[in-house]
Amino acid sequence: MKEMVAGAEVVGGHAQWKELPPTRRRPPSRMRRRIVTLLPVAIVVVALVAVLYKGLSSALVYFYTAQQAVAMRSTLGSSTFRMEGVVVPGTIVSTVNGVNFSIRFNHTVVQVIEVGSPPQLFQPKIPVVVVGHFAGKRFFSDQIMVKHSANYVAAHPGRISHAGGTS
Amino acid sequence: MKSDRAVQGLGLVAVLAIVATYILGLWITPPAAVMGNLVRLLYIHPPVAWVAYLAYGVTSVASILYLWKRTRDPRWDLIAASSAEIGVVFTALTLLTGSIWGRPTWGVWWTWDARLTTTALLFLLYVGYLALRRATPDVTQRSKRSAVAALIAFIDVPIVHQSVVWWKTLHQSATVFNASLSPKVHGEMAWTLLLGFIAFSLAYVWMLIRRYQIAVLISKRQEILLQGALDERMSTV
Amino acid sequence: MFKDAWLVASKDLRIERRSRVLTNQLLPFTLVILIIFAFTFDTHPNLLVTLSPGLFWVASLFAMTIALQRSFSLEAENQARDGLLLYGLESAGIFLGKVVAIVIQSAIVELFIGFGIVILYAAPLHEVVFLALSAFTATIGISCVGVVFGAMVTGRSRDSLLPLLIFPVVAPVLLSATKAWEDYVRGKVSLGDPWLGLLVVFAIAFGAVGVLTFGSILEE
Repeated sequence: MKEMVAGAEVVGGHAQWKELPPTRRRPPSRMRRRIVTLLPVAIVVVALVAVLYKGLSSALVYFYTAQQAVAMRSTLGSSTFRMEGVVVPGTIVSTVNGVNFSIRFNHTVVQVIEVGSPPQLFQPKIPVVVVGHFAGKRFFSDQIMVKHSANYVAAHPGRISHAGGTS
Repeated sequence: MKSDRAVQGLGLVAVLAIVATYILGLWITPPAAVMGNLVRLLYIHPPVAWVAYLAYGVTSVASILYLWKRTRDPRWDLIAASSAEIGVVFTALTLLTGSIWGRPTWGVWWTWDARLTTTALLFLLYVGYLALRRATPDVTQRSKRSAVAALIAFIDVPIVHQSVVWWKTLHQSATVFNASLSPKVHGEMAWTLLLGFIAFSLAYVWMLIRRYQIAVLISKRQEILLQGALDERMSTV
Repeated sequence: MFKDAWLVASKDLRIERRSRVLTNQLLPFTLVILIIFAFTFDTHPNLLVTLSPGLFWVASLFAMTIALQRSFSLEAENQARDGLLLYGLESAGIFLGKVVAIVIQSAIVELFIGFGIVILYAAPLHEVVFLALSAFTATIGISCVGVVFGAMVTGRSRDSLLPLLIFPVVAPVLLSATKAWEDYVRGKVSLGDPWLGLLVVFAIAFGAVGVLTFGSILEE
């Protein structure tokens, strides 16, 4: 005797449930599986970041220091780049088109010929970033950017601030 | 309402603190050695940037609390959104004041160094976050998706802060929150800067509370409208 | 997971092959971009050659965005998204499948743009193996971000919102890809190039984020 009871086949009094093919999704193990995938990935990423950190910090270059620029002068050629250095006191000479001066980084000094007017804060001993290219040993710049340090010191306390003055 | 009075009081204190910062910054503090009077932007620009970080920090914490099932509550989502909105405003202010400061000191309004570029990206990341919220009508979907987006966007915050250390930038390194935690500013200038940080933080807290209250009211209004529409539907059937 | 990924990828690619959007719209569109770049940047001789790595990546990103928008507008119709889940496909598999389909389409587009740069801009491309390797890794990274956000953004504003969300997030990938290309074009070739390494990091990290979060994005 054989009768069908909603999905179950009853054979000889014993109900035999049809086995559904196992579902591929197993909810309880999902969280653990996620962690298992996540861990090696995290380790790989952390390791790679650590290795890269040093390489990249020097690779993303906003400017070269005057020292680096002079050392790389042959490879830089006449390409345009930014160069950092401190304005050497006593070298600033105003010209018709702009200003000539020298910048120094450690012991390397580069003569800069600027076309265009320098910014307000431009003065001896201030760190600047100049934009331009080498021509021979001199650096032709068409923009000076003053790089202010993170230190803020009050101007000479005895001096009264003069109206609109910036120095 | 007592608590509302407290919020009002907080707002008043914040305004007074900002006014005090302005008075100290513009008239009492001395001009700086190199920058002269340009230094006075110091009392505005870093505190404004700090509030942007703070706002995004709050957004991230609230987003995590929303995403974590044990602490899930729609209120976290509203806090995250309110804070992000303030953060975007303050990031815009950071970029603006920075640009105004950069022109006379550096000589340019803008330059593509790491700090400026990552800050601009930060602004866009959270503008995207707000746009995503606007574009997702379903409340639960919006909360979940925007929480994930907020966490992705927050990755940029430490990068912005560390950019001046990791790369050579035109932007100066941190004056206050530097590695050795020794502020490179002293005397009345330091006190004014500290007051600036406190004043803008207070303003942030006040704005956050008010914006959150508005957000709660908006969501309540939507519920009432929805209920009204449902009732109307039911009565016609 | 990988079987599901293969199913989804082959489905997407089959749709693309039959609709011929890739050949009839996407490739002509990239050609238009290349031509526009040519006359907007041709102010200085050699400028196009110098800029070619950047131009390549900008053009590729535009094309990829369109491919992504298409990929998800397919799923938006008739709630096909829910359909995929109801078939019992794993969400990680759906994610990988989508990424694979986008990467394959992008690879075709990038090959086309590469030829365009060589022929139209006269850019000398050496080290083709390294260029292709870095392009491939970068494309994986960008596709992973794109697929995650593509699934996140639904509704009418998808097409305008998707680029706003994707571009800032993939900006570092784009930067690294451009720098890697600049290195190779300049002849600085090595497997240890930090930019290539960074691209690998991005690809793995964004891929992991996608695999882990795609389920909750789809099932909400």
